Amino acid sequence: MNARATVEKNEQFLREFVSQSTDFRSSDVKVGEQLYRLFYIDTMIEQTLVQDNVIRPLLNHPFGSVREAVSILDYKETDSLLLAANALVEGKVVLQREGESILYLLGAELNKERTLTLPMTERALRGSHRAFTENLNTNINVIRELIASPELAVETIQIGECSKTKVGILSMRPFANEIVLQEFKRRIQTIEIDYVEAPGFVTELIQDNSFALFPNFLVTERPDRVRSYVMEGKIAILTDGSPDCILIPVSFWAFFQSPDDYQMGWLLGSVLRFLRIIGFILALFLPGLYVALVTFDPRILPFEIALTLQGSMQYISMPPVLEAITMLVILEFLREATVRLPSPIGQTIGVVGGIVIGTVVVQSNLISNMMVFVTALTGVVSFIIPSYEMASASRLLTYLFILMGSILGLTGLLLVYLYLLNHLARMNTMGIPYFTPWFNRESIKDTLFRAPLTKLTKRPMESMAKDKIRQISGGNK
Amino acid sequence: MIHLRNISVNQLICLVILTQVGVSVLSMPYSESRHAGYDAWLSVLLGGLLAQLMIVLIYCLAKRYPDQPIQQYIGSIVGEPFGKLLNLLVGLYCLQSSLMVVVSYVDVMNRWLLFETPWFVLVILSFGIAAYYASSTLRTMATATQSIMILFFICFLIICISGLGYGNWRHLLPIGTHGVSSIVKDSFPAFWAYAGYELLLTVFPSVSVKKKKHILVAMTIANGVTTLFYVLVSLIVLYNFDEQQLNVIQEPMVFILRKFRWPIVQSFDIVFLSTWLAVTSVTAYLYLFLAARYFAFLGRSESKKHSLIVWLISFICMVCGFFLSDRQTLFVFSAYHNKVTFGIIGVLPITLFILSIVRKKVVEL
Repeated sequence: MNARATVEKNEQFLREFVSQSTDFRSSDVKVGEQLYRLFYIDTMIEQTLVQDNVIRPLLNHPFGSVREAVSILDYKETDSLLLAANALVEGKVVLQREGESILYLLGAELNKERTLTLPMTERALRGSHRAFTENLNTNINVIRELIASPELAVETIQIGECSKTKVGILSMRPFANEIVLQEFKRRIQTIEIDYVEAPGFVTELIQDNSFALFPNFLVTERPDRVRSYVMEGKIAILTDGSPDCILIPVSFWAFFQSPDDYQMGWLLGSVLRFLRIIGFILALFLPGLYVALVTFDPRILPFEIALTLQGSMQYISMPPVLEAITMLVILEFLREATVRLPSPIGQTIGVVGGIVIGTVVVQSNLISNMMVFVTALTGVVSFIIPSYEMASASRLLTYLFILMGSILGLTGLLLVYLYLLNHLARMNTMGIPYFTPWFNRESIKDTLFRAPLTKLTKRPMESMAKDKIRQISGGNK
Repeated sequence: MIHLRNISVNQLICLVILTQVGVSVLSMPYSESRHAGYDAWLSVLLGGLLAQLMIVLIYCLAKRYPDQPIQQYIGSIVGEPFGKLLNLLVGLYCLQSSLMVVVSYVDVMNRWLLFETPWFVLVILSFGIAAYYASSTLRTMATATQSIMILFFICFLIICISGLGYGNWRHLLPIGTHGVSSIVKDSFPAFWAYAGYELLLTVFPSVSVKKKKHILVAMTIANGVTTLFYVLVSLIVLYNFDEQQLNVIQEPMVFILRKFRWPIVQSFDIVFLSTWLAVTSVTAYLYLFLAARYFAFLGRSESKKHSLIVWLISFICMVCGFFLSDRQTLFVFSAYHNKVTFGIIGVLPITLFILSIVRKKVVEL
């Protein structure tokens, strides 16, 4: 629809377009004989910007064109009324000179954002202490600062029919796999939804298998982590309105990597990495193993230890399976409550959960103290895993082990293990295998342990980088 | 989309080792010592060498048709209708192997581990997990199998630790007292324990290697590891038990594991038997997979419904498994299976190989 020459007609259309909203305003600027009219949404623009860079220059240049007068970088001319209306919603100021059917779109958006702060969910001892914010441009700016290379490609697309959420796709052109990139774009463009709750919707709408027990997207709020993965040939996806960045394609082992590993020397880094993986295994197996040993195969344990366990369970009427599940569910309640509670009363949970529940439950012979110990250890150990999604997965899958352990003992545990193993081997991200055993030649260097930097000469297998070599020689020997 | 279908050499080695190794470890030198006595380990070694010969033969056969699995080219060797028949027979044999492994391990579990769990529950669980594995792609299976390899090494370690207790090395000396003929005679039951290498016929085109020769090297390594493992197990058993004891004890390994006590773990047999389930299920699911591959070629063209076939045939197997809970029936079944095994993994490849050469010569003439 083309713009009319009279400002009244256009104003009428625009007012209709924004559903007669009361924050839609128009204001006239009269310069000599000329009448200019500004249309804008009051809540979306920075008023001082408009006053200083649009109105005042117009008044000062009564005879020049608009382009010569206004001092705004984000400047566009159009004759389409619809385009102008959409720009209006995004926070632009639409300017028209009476008698001309050209509309000037001037960017004077109000930017409200918080400053870059510390990461909330991914702490690290060494390395950068900066997290993303909710503003896409700021986030891209941070990444560009970290990777000052012309080969860093940034592409922005909009998804969501109504919300028009901006999604930034960042990748290193020389390394990133074209096929993965194309596949991702294909998938994201097939999304037809009214609005996008980023990045949760994006991950859920584009994943390979909707029934995946393990997370197959790495979500991070740390720019340094994004940098290291982008440099490996992976693709980073930033969405407007969220400080979380998605990384694809990732392997299972990426969920145990932390920036700390690369800051502290390879020996300490390897130990920490190994510790985390042990934590993951314990979080998965420990309650199930305990239940299996106590209910099914106490013969495995040496006599004295079996007696100790027996002693702690003497007056407990609940079967160990029920004990384990009850305690773990209580733990989950406490965790969820801690997330939701405002921080001033957060400590209450510590008192109620740790002292009241923990002590009373044992004293009243509801749950054996051995089980309280096992559950507490499981809880602590599951939080070692750097990725919250992976930690949650481990805590959920533990119930499967408990159930099977109570039915079939160690054999049950093994059956669940076999099931999970094949489930892992079946998983894909963007068509790339998600899981590889740690002892393969391609994956041995940076999975269970971290090899010295001089040995990490190739980009990891799962990112399928075009250029596999990341350093030529083994450094300065 | 990127889809990786091929398996690496490393994965091939793991697949072959774990398919070869199975339930027979528990009873290892029992049937091999019927004639050879203390020289059973030589029979086991000889069985491994026989298997190696067959591997070379199968490699030569497969190399003639490097881009096809056997199901496809069998027709061009023996003629189309006969090829279909052979596909059916070999498929049935694979199914039978899978059933055999599952049922004999369920039998072991029922006697040593889970006394009160009903037979059918164990059969359902075993076939459930096997079918779940077999219904995935070869690559997925290979990846998972690599991780199971760790469990195999743990079991290996347990056997080594618990076996070297109070025994007598003089059982083994002097070597070869029972004569060559009895050693050769006993190498046939040993040879059956090496079944599993025939999977090369199916997976040959799916292994990604620079030179085809590397496949032969990989197969040799795999068979070597299996032979080493079997010989070691036999030596450990012979070290622990004398001939009279061996005539009575059918599952010597379990006894050895049971008598060993550690300060942390009292009865290693429970840990071992639970963990070993993973290793036997590799054999079970690989044979299910192979059976499904053979059956897929029964129609006019290759059937693409792999997972459907797998679930169907494992259901049939499972139902058959319900009726094998009687030990005497199991023995009969096992004796029959051994005979068939000899035909399928021994005689059949040789015949096919000779036929393919003759055919080529005829064509050239």
